[in-house]
Amino acid sequence: MATLRMREALRDAMAEEMRRDEAVLVMGEDVGVFQGAFKVTEGLLEEFGERRVRDTPISENTIVGAGVGAAMGGLRPVVELMTVNFALLALDQIVNHAAAIPYMFNGQARVPLVIRMPGGGGHQLGPTHSHSFEALFLQVPGLLVACPSTPADGKALLKTAIRDDNPVIFIEHESLYGVRGEVAEDGEDDVLHFGEAAVRRQGSDVTIVGILKMAHVAEEAARALAHEHGVEAEVIDPRTLRPLDLDTILTSVRKTNRAVIVEEGWPHGGVGANLATLITEQAFDHLDAPVQRVTGADVHMPYARRLEQAAIPHEEHVVQAALAALEGSL
Amino acid sequence: MADVVMPRLSDSMEEGTILQWLKAIGDEVAVGDELVEIETDKANMAYEADVAGTLTEIVAAEGETLPIGAVIARVGDSNEGSGASAAGPVAADTPTVLAAGRGSAPRGSPTATPPAGGGNGHRIKASPLARRIAEERQLDLSQLHGSGPGGRIIKADVEGASSAGDAVAETAAAGPAAEAPSPETAKGQVSYEELSKTQQVIARRMAESKATAPHFYLRASVDMGQAVEGRRKLKALAAEDSVVPSFNDMVVKACALALREHPRANGAYRDGRFELYSRVNVGVAVAAKDALVVPTVFDADRKGLRQIASESRGLAQRVRGGQITPPELSGATFTVSNLGMYGIDGFSAVINPPQAAILAVGAIEERPVVRDGEVTTAHLMQLDLACDHRILYGAPAAEFLARIRALLEEPLSLAL
Repeated sequence: MATLRMREALRDAMAEEMRRDEAVLVMGEDVGVFQGAFKVTEGLLEEFGERRVRDTPISENTIVGAGVGAAMGGLRPVVELMTVNFALLALDQIVNHAAAIPYMFNGQARVPLVIRMPGGGGHQLGPTHSHSFEALFLQVPGLLVACPSTPADGKALLKTAIRDDNPVIFIEHESLYGVRGEVAEDGEDDVLHFGEAAVRRQGSDVTIVGILKMAHVAEEAARALAHEHGVEAEVIDPRTLRPLDLDTILTSVRKTNRAVIVEEGWPHGGVGANLATLITEQAFDHLDAPVQRVTGADVHMPYARRLEQAAIPHEEHVVQAALAALEGSL
Repeated sequence: MADVVMPRLSDSMEEGTILQWLKAIGDEVAVGDELVEIETDKANMAYEADVAGTLTEIVAAEGETLPIGAVIARVGDSNEGSGASAAGPVAADTPTVLAAGRGSAPRGSPTATPPAGGGNGHRIKASPLARRIAEERQLDLSQLHGSGPGGRIIKADVEGASSAGDAVAETAAAGPAAEAPSPETAKGQVSYEELSKTQQVIARRMAESKATAPHFYLRASVDMGQAVEGRRKLKALAAEDSVVPSFNDMVVKACALALREHPRANGAYRDGRFELYSRVNVGVAVAAKDALVVPTVFDADRKGLRQIASESRGLAQRVRGGQITPPELSGATFTVSNLGMYGIDGFSAVINPPQAAILAVGAIEERPVVRDGEVTTAHLMQLDLACDHRILYGAPAAEFLARIRALLEEPLSLAL
């Protein structure tokens, strides 16, 4: 095991897969000479050369389109989009091509493409660089969606994504690139299957589901609930949204009878809205309170620091939601 | 077909709870027949029918709480049949059940209990989990208290109920206070009690008083020496079963005479005006079972001590027996509250709104006093007058209290 930052773990995942499989290549804006806007592709150009680590023009639809074509042609491209927001420019290639082609060709054509993109707020990057679009991609059939919150998961999931024959939207959180954690080293072959949630904390009173940075906020809230309110929360990080490990979540909810879902994205049609519906449909008779959602504010991300912080969920919001789910039971 | 509506049975009544129907569907009802027993904010009363006919429909089930004017039953012509409009001929001689929409609430049993969980004819709010557990354990949700948001019955309520086992049904039948114990908290087990109508009124009016009436307090010490001596003589002279006025009766009489001379103290600040009353009616606070009610001694300024004494005893007995009627509890223009019998030296009372003042009476104690430079003893009683400064100001209030003291220190004046 080694202690790595998230960005290093992701780089190692790509490097190891590139060493393992000649077909793996990396494309994106500034991924080569500049080594990535968030330095995730550091050292890759030096090791693998310009043929496999390609700087591209600022043209997201084209980058992804080239990735789709390369994937159909037998390669395993990892395309980096500088932020989640820029993925909107490539939605045609992502939705109409990458996601649809395997379906349209009945599986005779495969698109083993990984599209990495960092998202999330908290760095005063304003309304056009701070989105959380997990729900947007989650909605599209044919796309797998990963949203790792730890370096170990980041590395393992990225390796799995590269080896998978389906197009994968790989969402990273800008605030988590510097987070350190224990990561398996090369050769330990630490792939992690998609659709396996992690139970970060055991608890009996309320289930808190959080993704990306909100997985950490959920754990902080669980500690506060235990210390200040005597509430034992079970914290679950789904790690991938499609496929989703709904069984782990339902098992927990059947135990705790209450659920809180935390995400940074917008409330309407969000990850939480979707998951709340799934829980209500499949564990209705086990619920003792309505499923609570904690989401980002229903606004475009403000630039002003305090406003931006006010638009992002924090520990106290999760604590309040958990207590609301427990109202009358304490 | 005539609607029977929730009647106004006291001047402060806003809603009433159906305790028991005294007639069944199909019974003939004559004007003046006792139709239904209703719990108001002040008392339980049998309500007499003011129309004649056949009781064709009971709209409000026992235990339901409805506002004044809401239809509680229908009385029709004997030939009209029941439920004619909706039920049709089939139902004509099998008058179906009562009001619609009450789901699983038990019906028809003579000891039907007021539902704690649902009430008001609405769907019972319960979490899906609570419903499932209740079904598995065959618990009646309508008998449970909901401690979740908005009174929703949640798991804790159902589990508490089922762990208490069969006792629940019995406790529930005993009254609306039956509760399911909640899970352990830092304060241990929490149990909840629903307030009775009277307790609701006390909570509302006391909070209203302290929130709206600017209270200030005056204190006076009364030398009750002559009153003690006088009462001793009265007792010695009185026949075996005759009523001897208590010290509190003397206080009531003294207040009444002083009130007659101080109209502001016998008034109320209401809606930006002073209301001044021509009658002097003194309310006497009486501790009832788990409550506090204030029956009224009407025209206390014009009644003799002896009459005040016998009326006060009668009122207190009826309060404790639960037979007090709303008219006996209304109309007071001033209140006397006495905790002297508990050995309390004195206390500050909360004004009974909209009255201008309340007198708190402490115990009579023999205490050292200085008279003409000599230390001697006297029977002292502390009086604390709480005043609503919107109508009764400091100096007039002081005169009023001084007058009460003077009357009590010269008790013969009470006989005038």
